[in-house]
Amino acid sequence: MTTMPTKIPEFIWGRKFPKITIDHEKCTVPFLCKKCLQVCPEVVFHVERVMQREKRLEEMDPRIDGNFVLQAPRRDKCTVCNQCIEVCPVGAITIEAPEQVPFRIKGKGEQWGQ
Amino acid sequence: MCYLCEQFGNPEYGGGTWYLNPFNYARNMYKLRAPGEGFKGADAGLETGAHSGPTIMDLMNAIECNDVAEYQRIRQIMQEQGQGGQVVPLADADRVLELCSPIGLIACLCRKGVRAIDERNELEYTCMGMGVGMLKWERWPERYKGGTKFVNIDEAKEWNHEMDKRGFCHILMLFGAPFIGGFCQCDYPDCQALRNAVDFGVGTLKSHYLAVVDYDKCNGCGICAQRCQWGALKYEVTSEKPNIDLFKCFGCGLCETGCPRGAISLIRREAVPAVSEVWL
Repeated sequence: MTTMPTKIPEFIWGRKFPKITIDHEKCTVPFLCKKCLQVCPEVVFHVERVMQREKRLEEMDPRIDGNFVLQAPRRDKCTVCNQCIEVCPVGAITIEAPEQVPFRIKGKGEQWGQ
Repeated sequence: MCYLCEQFGNPEYGGGTWYLNPFNYARNMYKLRAPGEGFKGADAGLETGAHSGPTIMDLMNAIECNDVAEYQRIRQIMQEQGQGGQVVPLADADRVLELCSPIGLIACLCRKGVRAIDERNELEYTCMGMGVGMLKWERWPERYKGGTKFVNIDEAKEWNHEMDKRGFCHILMLFGAPFIGGFCQCDYPDCQALRNAVDFGVGTLKSHYLAVVDYDKCNGCGICAQRCQWGALKYEVTSEKPNIDLFKCFGCGLCETGCPRGAISLIRREAVPAVSEVWL
């Protein structure tokens, strides 16, 4: 196994990712609704059926509340474009954008030794 | 040589390539459990996908904490768990399908997860399962919704070529190395295995091949640029020909099979020293 990824990742080390919270009280049938899943340009969301031990071997009806749960596992790719918030019919998604640290160039031309 | 070939290849079968070793398709997927014992990872949280051990979330946390050493440690553990698999070009895929049995077409779990696409019949299926695990599909009605369509070798090859034409690349999936249990048809960003490999460098290994362009044959039509799932091949405006970054190339062969003029060919990874051991 090579020790480093061969691709330099598009993220910068130490970058903070957006925090996406989904209110599962409001979002109850994500597999039927699927609006955020289809609108997200970066495919951040993921819908998963519940994994409780006793329901593991059962078929899940997507119409029943809570059988499928929406998650946002790929938040590293979230651009906070807010399209999912606009499209959500029940207002279950909130996104907290990471703080942007401003960057300043320190020199004022003197580095060229004029 | 990739570490899967080193550990699971057999020189007598397929020249030591691990996925051409028929024994890797024969191992029983399901281990016997003591009575009353649940499956491993049953109590793991939703976000882990019922796998025990570190996840992509842990990798993200390491990036946020600017902890390169922790990132590499987690990657190492994830590779050692023997999940993931390897990208296989179409010509090798045909040889793979001659080795395993039974072969079943099934619904894709990744597309179900990320886009809530419910594939319910054999015309919609975009995933292929193989080996003894397929015979137990009835146990998981939610996973194998619509059932499994068992196919013979010729049907499987034909279906695989069809998927290649549509622009999916082929990834052999390990279900606990060395057991090969699936043949995913993947694209970015829907496929989780492919996405983990491209975004985080974990899981799926690059194939034993690399794509190279014959610039004399190429007429610059740009079809290959539409087919690359890895961000490796781009259309170079200056030369009006494709340009392949061999460090990013996963050797899936989609550009090769899509090229109408046969200008792209696959070469062995060993032939290019700087990337010959670049598997992730």
